[in-house]
Amino acid sequence: MPQDLFAQIDLPRVYRRRRFLNDVALSLTGVAVALAVIPLVWIVVYVFLKGMQNINLDFFIHLPQAMGTTGGGVTNAIQGSIVMVLVAVVVAIPIALLVAFYLLFHPQTLLGQILRFSTDLLAGVPSIVIGLFGYAILVVPFKHFSALAGGLVLAMIMLPIVIRSAEEMLKLVPKELREGALALGAPEWKTSLSVVLVAALEGIVTGVMLAIARATGETAPLLFTALGNEHYNVVAYVRQGISQHQSIFQILHKILAEPTDALPLTLWKYAQQPYPERVAQSWTVALVLMFFVLALNIGARSWLARKRRQTRG
Amino acid sequence: MRRFFLFSWVIVALLLTACGGQTPAATSTSTPEAQTGGKSITLNGAGATFPLPVYTEWNQMYRSVQPDVTINYQGIGSGGGQKAILDSTVDFAGSDSLLKDNQYTKMPDLQMLPMLAGAVVPIYNLPGVDKLVLDGPTMVDIFMANITNWNDPAIAKLNPGVSLPDAPIVVAHRSDGSGTTEIFTSYLGAVSEEWKNSVGVGKAIEWPADKNGQGIGGKGNPGVAQAVQATPNAIGYVELAYAKSNSIPFANLINAAGNEVTADAETMQDAMAAFANAFNERLTAKIMNAPGQKSWPIMGYTYLIIHMKENQNCDKTKALLEYASWAVSDPAAAQKAADLGYATLPNAVKELVMAKLQEVTCNGQKVLQ
Repeated sequence: MPQDLFAQIDLPRVYRRRRFLNDVALSLTGVAVALAVIPLVWIVVYVFLKGMQNINLDFFIHLPQAMGTTGGGVTNAIQGSIVMVLVAVVVAIPIALLVAFYLLFHPQTLLGQILRFSTDLLAGVPSIVIGLFGYAILVVPFKHFSALAGGLVLAMIMLPIVIRSAEEMLKLVPKELREGALALGAPEWKTSLSVVLVAALEGIVTGVMLAIARATGETAPLLFTALGNEHYNVVAYVRQGISQHQSIFQILHKILAEPTDALPLTLWKYAQQPYPERVAQSWTVALVLMFFVLALNIGARSWLARKRRQTRG
Repeated sequence: MRRFFLFSWVIVALLLTACGGQTPAATSTSTPEAQTGGKSITLNGAGATFPLPVYTEWNQMYRSVQPDVTINYQGIGSGGGQKAILDSTVDFAGSDSLLKDNQYTKMPDLQMLPMLAGAVVPIYNLPGVDKLVLDGPTMVDIFMANITNWNDPAIAKLNPGVSLPDAPIVVAHRSDGSGTTEIFTSYLGAVSEEWKNSVGVGKAIEWPADKNGQGIGGKGNPGVAQAVQATPNAIGYVELAYAKSNSIPFANLINAAGNEVTADAETMQDAMAAFANAFNERLTAKIMNAPGQKSWPIMGYTYLIIHMKENQNCDKTKALLEYASWAVSDPAAAQKAADLGYATLPNAVKELVMAKLQEVTCNGQKVLQ
């Protein structure tokens, strides 16, 4: 009986049909992949081509020149971005991790629910609104735009991203691991720090990197807090401070209390200028910004990969 | 990992100490430099983007005049500058538009000081046409969408011998609120009652051409410039500096005296001279549709806003006043402004500004002696 059945089927034809369908599906997925990748590649290549023309050492170590002239750099924006992102990281990450641990241990308490709800709300607040809030509570009372205000506003933007990703990553750590540590007599804080946190570190760092990338690219909130400053130069402040025998707090104060610039802010300002030299420089700023974020991501990933190899090997 | 945590808390503690150090500095309103014994002074200002290129140049030039004074000016828009000085978050503001009465009520010692003037020009994109002449009524009709084709008799009459295309006119305008739009619509309103009453004057208006589908918006001066450059048969308006630096052709206009003029230093000076006595006690004046023989008709002043009395830090106030008087009176500063396409103040206006600067007080004492 089965042999008769087989005899009736035109085998090559079925195969041909299946192979044809397979080819169609495969090329459709290929098209989809291309559609997804093309914009990214396009942006990277376009920014690279436009931005490469102005890239040189001066661009990284010099302050801006007057408008309408070539040359000069954006070291003020690079240093400002680094200072503000550092402030944001230092402020946001400890708070975010504490909140994430609280949410892990007490998800159902009233405070836990309030925390989770407000984290979601904060994540949905447009960044320009956070900027205005920062202007009202960090700039107006002190009568001064400052790098500190810019950094704290960026911290507000990073907080919800780090909290939600850290909480998800901490939840993924098996309960048995924690119970094991507790059973061996480790106190709760030690369990959290050296078992749960370490197990979830990879995911948490990825979340932090995403948050840093997001904060580095923010323009709107900095308009109202950092303002912009073509003369911002940490190196000069430190050198001046040392020559005048200032304490480290006085130097730190100078660095944080001055208005400062940031890469996206500079990009936004330069792109609107009537001078072609400035517009060309804004492409270079875009390139630097892109590689800054890219390098951050790649650096973090390779660091994690090495760390994992060490712990396993 | 524990070490990492400890480390971050140490930094937080350091930061908090730094903030703690900042609060008394802010309340006692002395500069950090004054505390640290150095003499350097930083003045922060923000506001109009229109004078940004020349202010940036001046700030660089001023470093050789006063090496201890650093001036930081950021172009955040006239409205933003006005808000910042009302909140006392900047030492001075820049603005193209005038303060409102209620802003003066809130802070009566605010003073606007004219610094420079600039022209707005009608730019166009007509392949094969290198010279175009328009007059006020025709401009109004074009932007009202009463004239919708380039071969309209009204345009042809002003441009004898020019072969105008038989093509619909595309009107490019600002999509964002802008001082340039305010100056341009003030001119159209000054020429035509109908424009003033039916369309209006302001930073953002509803453009009649948009309703016919013949309007395009652009963000900022670059947006309008780009829209006109990319669209054949388009007309738009930008500040003179943008038209010049991007080599976009702009039309000549028939001014109030009936003469054909182009926008340059001479015609701008003529318009300002015609209105040199128009300043009121707030030291503001309109220079729209000036009656002079050679006057360029679409112009506006840009101002610094400073405090006349509410100054606590006299070192800063002195530095600011010295900078302002340098900017108004120094020949090199004026030359730089003229090179960039701005019109510098006529002598009569300069004297008004200098006299006003003399009156500024700090803690009840006159600052400039």
